[in-house]
Amino acid sequence: MEMNTQERLKIYLNEIERNNKTGNKINAILEINPHAIDEAKQIDDKIKKGKAGKLAGKIIAVKSNINVLGLTASCGSKVLENYKSPYDAEVIKKIKDEDGLIIGMANCDEFACGWSGETSAFGATNNPQALGYVSGGSSSGSCASVSADFCDMALGSDTGGSIRVPASHCGVVGLKPSYGSVSRYGLIDMSMSLDQVGPIAKNVSDAALLFDVIAGRDEKDAISVGSKVEMRKIGDVPKIESIPRNIKIGVIDFKINDSRIQRIFDEKIKEAEKKYKWKVEKIKLDYIDFAVATYFPIVYTEFFSCTRRLDGRRFGKRIEEACGPEVLRRIIGGSEISRAEHAGRYYHLALKARKLIEEEFKKTFKKFDCIICPTVPRLPHRIGEKISIEEMFQYDALTSPINLSGDCAISIPMGEVDKIPVGMQIICEKFNEQKLFQIARSFEKL
Amino acid sequence: MDFLWRQMSDKEKEDAKKQVDSIIDSFSKKLSTLKDKIEVDNSIERENFERSEGGEKLEISKKIMFENAPDKNNDFIIGEKKSWK
Repeated sequence: MEMNTQERLKIYLNEIERNNKTGNKINAILEINPHAIDEAKQIDDKIKKGKAGKLAGKIIAVKSNINVLGLTASCGSKVLENYKSPYDAEVIKKIKDEDGLIIGMANCDEFACGWSGETSAFGATNNPQALGYVSGGSSSGSCASVSADFCDMALGSDTGGSIRVPASHCGVVGLKPSYGSVSRYGLIDMSMSLDQVGPIAKNVSDAALLFDVIAGRDEKDAISVGSKVEMRKIGDVPKIESIPRNIKIGVIDFKINDSRIQRIFDEKIKEAEKKYKWKVEKIKLDYIDFAVATYFPIVYTEFFSCTRRLDGRRFGKRIEEACGPEVLRRIIGGSEISRAEHAGRYYHLALKARKLIEEEFKKTFKKFDCIICPTVPRLPHRIGEKISIEEMFQYDALTSPINLSGDCAISIPMGEVDKIPVGMQIICEKFNEQKLFQIARSFEKL
Repeated sequence: MDFLWRQMSDKEKEDAKKQVDSIIDSFSKKLSTLKDKIEVDNSIERENFERSEGGEKLEISKKIMFENAPDKNNDFIIGEKKSWK
């Protein structure tokens, strides 16, 4: 007999009790929803009456930069450690309307500023699949929670790879939706022209289900347009299960220093080519090398701008007095770039390069259905290991271009190197999440 | 570089500024090599210029908002206490 929501919640809460702060010390969950047990009971009652929504029984962790009424949206920072959300973000409202259960708030890099999950003021998140290694960030706790069996699904936010990078390292599925497909209302922003809220799950079908619920136009978010996935069954099979025919894949020609990652990737591509008769071609993206240099001036400037409200008057502490080194670096960087004498020198150059990257992807999608590459060109480092800023930038090298272009991308597990999971990134043109999920599901079936 | 979170001293803050200056300079040099000319348009449109606030007004939201504020009076949040000049 299938377990009900209350029973499943109990199992997850026990697992959190065993391995979050003690045991494996994953440190993925910062706060448990005190009303979760009552809410699970209400959901089970609705299920019994046949009135429950699409997410009935699904147990979901939420990144700490998304507002959930009454829970702490600390953003992984001492600045907001006591900040209780006075309202639900639009994505949370949608989840609650469809009877998803919020189990608690997940750890993350401070204000989503990080690649590894180590910049959280509440400690680094341990990688459940490779203890002692970083989980990846910034949605570190969200991906680690799914990977450690603390929940069914999670919400994260992705500005340069913050869902896909930790999804890759933790061996789970993570989607960066098209810019504008999911409302950002209630997301504590890091870089408003790049941020997107997205789903993290144990498999592609669950990621598609959560995306289907949270996507859609919202008048409260000026750039929101919406996007749809077809969860409906065609005959006995959900549409996402149907393997698309005549797919043409562009494989990014990019130097991956770790040959073990490259080998796993090449094998997967060959397998798909053979089994599904898909066409595969190597492609060179001229502007991909400019992505990091383009991404950071935009992020620094927009982050500096959005942190000006954190002055300690209405809530929290003054940010410069309570933040950690990476957040401070970005505030200083944004402040420098915004100074009058630099006007046009950095930010405008970055916007120009961004447009070129966007155009290049657009042109490529005229010839290819999707673009594929490893999600991260390197393995995660050990927690606390000192690495250079250049090494840190490598984490986002293949994910940040897709935030700049605004297209949608998913990371799915493709294998392991030394028992550490590695992910494959599949990219489709803006608002083509349906096709993206179908291709990802086809790879998952190999 | 140390990416672990920690409280920072004034000296560390000074060092952070130097690090950032060098990072921004390297980005700037890289971007300056772009030769293509391209127009950038960042306008965003929505149906109505002004957004209707509407929505549910929860009493609990007001309560939490006041609880979050470090300095408040009965029904207002105190931004800064200074004498008028």
